[in-house]
Amino acid sequence: MIDQKILEEVLGVAMSTGGDFAEIYAENTRNNSLFLVDGKIDKIVDNTYSGVGVRVFLGERTVYATTTDLTREGLLACAKSAAEILGELKTNISVSLTKTRVPDIHPVRIHPMSADMRIRTDILKCACFAAKEHSEKISQVQGTLLGVDHGILVANSEGLFKEDRHVRTRLIVNSVASAGGENQSGSCTPGRGMGLEMFDLFDPREVGIHASRQALVNLSAGYCPAGQMTVAIENGFGGVIFHEACGHSLEATQVGVGMSEMCGKLGQLIANPKVTAIDDGTIAGAWGSVNIDDEGNPTQRNVLIENGVLKNYMIDRLGSRRLHMPMTGNSRRQGYEYEPTSRMTNTFIDNGPDKNEDIIASIEYGLYAKEMGGGSVNPLTGAFNFAVREGYIVRNGKICEPVRGASLIGTGSQILRDIDMVGQNLDCGQGMCGSSSGNVPTDVGQPLIRVGKITVGGR
Amino acid sequence: MDFSIVKQTLINEAQRRGLDEYEIFFTQSEQLSTETLKDEICSFSSGVGSGVSFRCIVDGRMGNAATELFTEEELVSLVKRAMDNASVIENDDPVFIFEGSDKYETVEKPNFDMPSTAKIRELALDIQAKTYAQSDAVTDGTQSNVFAMSTRRELINSKGLELSDTVKLGGAFAQAVVKQSDEAQEAYDFVIGYDGVDTLPKKAVDKALSKIGATDVKSGKYNIIIDGAQMRSLLATYSSAFSGKQALLGLSLLAGKVGEKIAADCVTLVDDPRLDGSFAQTSFDGEGVATYKKNVIENGVLKTLLYDLSTAAKAGVKTTANGQRSSYANQVGIAPFAFYIEGGEVSEEELLAKMGDGIYLAELKGLHAGANAVTGDFSLESAGYLVENGKKIKAIKGFTVAGNFFELLSSIKQLSDNVKFGMPSGLTTFGSPDVLLENVSVAGV
Repeated sequence: MIDQKILEEVLGVAMSTGGDFAEIYAENTRNNSLFLVDGKIDKIVDNTYSGVGVRVFLGERTVYATTTDLTREGLLACAKSAAEILGELKTNISVSLTKTRVPDIHPVRIHPMSADMRIRTDILKCACFAAKEHSEKISQVQGTLLGVDHGILVANSEGLFKEDRHVRTRLIVNSVASAGGENQSGSCTPGRGMGLEMFDLFDPREVGIHASRQALVNLSAGYCPAGQMTVAIENGFGGVIFHEACGHSLEATQVGVGMSEMCGKLGQLIANPKVTAIDDGTIAGAWGSVNIDDEGNPTQRNVLIENGVLKNYMIDRLGSRRLHMPMTGNSRRQGYEYEPTSRMTNTFIDNGPDKNEDIIASIEYGLYAKEMGGGSVNPLTGAFNFAVREGYIVRNGKICEPVRGASLIGTGSQILRDIDMVGQNLDCGQGMCGSSSGNVPTDVGQPLIRVGKITVGGR
Repeated sequence: MDFSIVKQTLINEAQRRGLDEYEIFFTQSEQLSTETLKDEICSFSSGVGSGVSFRCIVDGRMGNAATELFTEEELVSLVKRAMDNASVIENDDPVFIFEGSDKYETVEKPNFDMPSTAKIRELALDIQAKTYAQSDAVTDGTQSNVFAMSTRRELINSKGLELSDTVKLGGAFAQAVVKQSDEAQEAYDFVIGYDGVDTLPKKAVDKALSKIGATDVKSGKYNIIIDGAQMRSLLATYSSAFSGKQALLGLSLLAGKVGEKIAADCVTLVDDPRLDGSFAQTSFDGEGVATYKKNVIENGVLKTLLYDLSTAAKAGVKTTANGQRSSYANQVGIAPFAFYIEGGEVSEEELLAKMGDGIYLAELKGLHAGANAVTGDFSLESAGYLVENGKKIKAIKGFTVAGNFFELLSSIKQLSDNVKFGMPSGLTTFGSPDVLLENVSVAGV
């Protein structure tokens, strides 16, 4: 993307006012995504994002400057504007870079932007038409086929120089079912760090049918009763519970500044011993995987909680300085406009000792959350919330009638103890996680779990 | 590459390819932001960026492509990409490159110039010091943030229309973390512009302290006042229901309801692109149509939905000049400008007295997940205060409030007289007074 000599010169300027570390991040991203509504291709988003961020460290302070001007002059001006914040020109620093090849553990077979447009429109239509034809009650279907090719360059004053490319594909179908002046919705949103070969794993028709089936279930459902109850949360996107309730509180972004309820708890039993939780950015082709993080470090498999004991945090460079702990390959950002910070990749609760059928059978009265929606958390207090997209009442160990409009709320430290059964059907779901460094793709996951007691919002 | 060169390169290529109808939309932005931690600046960021989007009509269909990469090769390919994209579009929506409105009003924005880096550092450090000074309970994790940004938009098209404007915005946040007997709580407050920065530390700290010792609340039906700052977030979440496009697609429960009563008599909902005193004002929308103020709901009656040129033509009405485009990266999409519920006639205190006993809702969380714009349903994690005899007597937390936004609009009993506006995002700002509701479902313990 940028000539090595220029990178070295820019890093030299960035370091010239006393900074102890400098980094250049350059991005060249193509987003080419198709949108369908009312059975017709309605919109194509075709954007190129291109720019650079220069970051300078002095101890635990950072300065970050960005530009879209990629000329030598533009880059030098950008580095200078960052350096000037730290102080007066002291000395010219010479930086020499060594380019390292990044092994690609997520090779792409069918690049979404080089494939024939017809192939892509067919995939999207296949999914949306199947959704529409599923029932006469399906009044509208919206679909998106997302294609992103995210190219990055990272170079820093320690001599690191790497380039990488991350391709991702996602199919999103939202169905609306209508009857008697009422609308209910359902969705299905699989994604992978792959090209169009992703559809060897997912039949687009099944994705559409899944969304419509869920909309119909919600249309037939009554409101969820409110109060505290036992809840079984299904695998896949159900893992959002760990992501929100605990994952964010284990990011150095929070822990490093004392803004997490997980501060100072390493080595302590913080969860039911049945709970082992992992963040793994190396899973081949997974939605949240990358070869290297946005500071150029290879991603890793990090065990966060092992048999209930807190083992590690997710740590970027700044977090590493603040916590005096090693980096974990978790530094991420949406693009050059964002200063990176510690973020999750693919984060999940591992399989546990309980049989899935025993979990449902154990509930006298409660809620079975078959699919979860998104949620949010306050890492300081651990207070979280998330929405149940498809839920059922459980009575005497049997899954009964569907209910809609439920949400689950609690605090992270409490729910980790209240997870009292962990099943064996680990699977992941895909999400876009929003935080201070923008929106990044993350997988969430778990097997079926049981939470002994949690507040269910309904009416 | 200078924008005049970018522009000429695109025009030359468009003409070479025989395009009759096209439009170039350019944005150029600069921003400054700083954050503090403990007693020093912990991060500082600055940025300059520009991007351009090109759209054109080919065989009656509109294609778009956009880029931040200003090389000759990229710009030349941008025209072809937009043309190729047009050929894939299948909808039969009428499309327009707009020739221009008869008149564009001048807008009077607050005086605001991009501050120096020294100025925003000084402001941030001052807020931080004053926040720590508020109380011994203030602890590390407390942060302040001061920012400024400026965005220039320029629109030119093949019909000879040339428009431009600049939106400048600054603001400051104080986020206070307090700790008392092992319980930590946080709260923030913000100002738009830098006037009133001095009030931030006390407001943030008082708010955080008032949350200490919050207790659970029993499930049941309660009378509720929703803080205007939370009500405007609900309004933002459901604002897509007012889009004429969503209505045409059957994705809004407001479809076909123009002229009908959809809210309580006391509710008037306004969209004002030139709201007096607002930083985010504009005289033209993203398609170049002159903007104007309108009542979307008037005394409870839905008067209009919001439209851009294409959707208006499809619906057989005139555009409301809500074809928004806050950045080169966004295609034209229907969105409001300053979108707010008009204030009522009583003060906040009088509204509390009127409610007597109930709950004052000071926080609603997870709106992106727990609220569904298509159905209107919501079930949201909440925090606030228990109110007895019109007084907030104690903090409560860990409960959810559930309902349906459209039912809620109809059941509003009364409004306070002060409209609370949020931080503008692009050219959109939401606002609402405090609203009083009766018999709302609360799930606690």
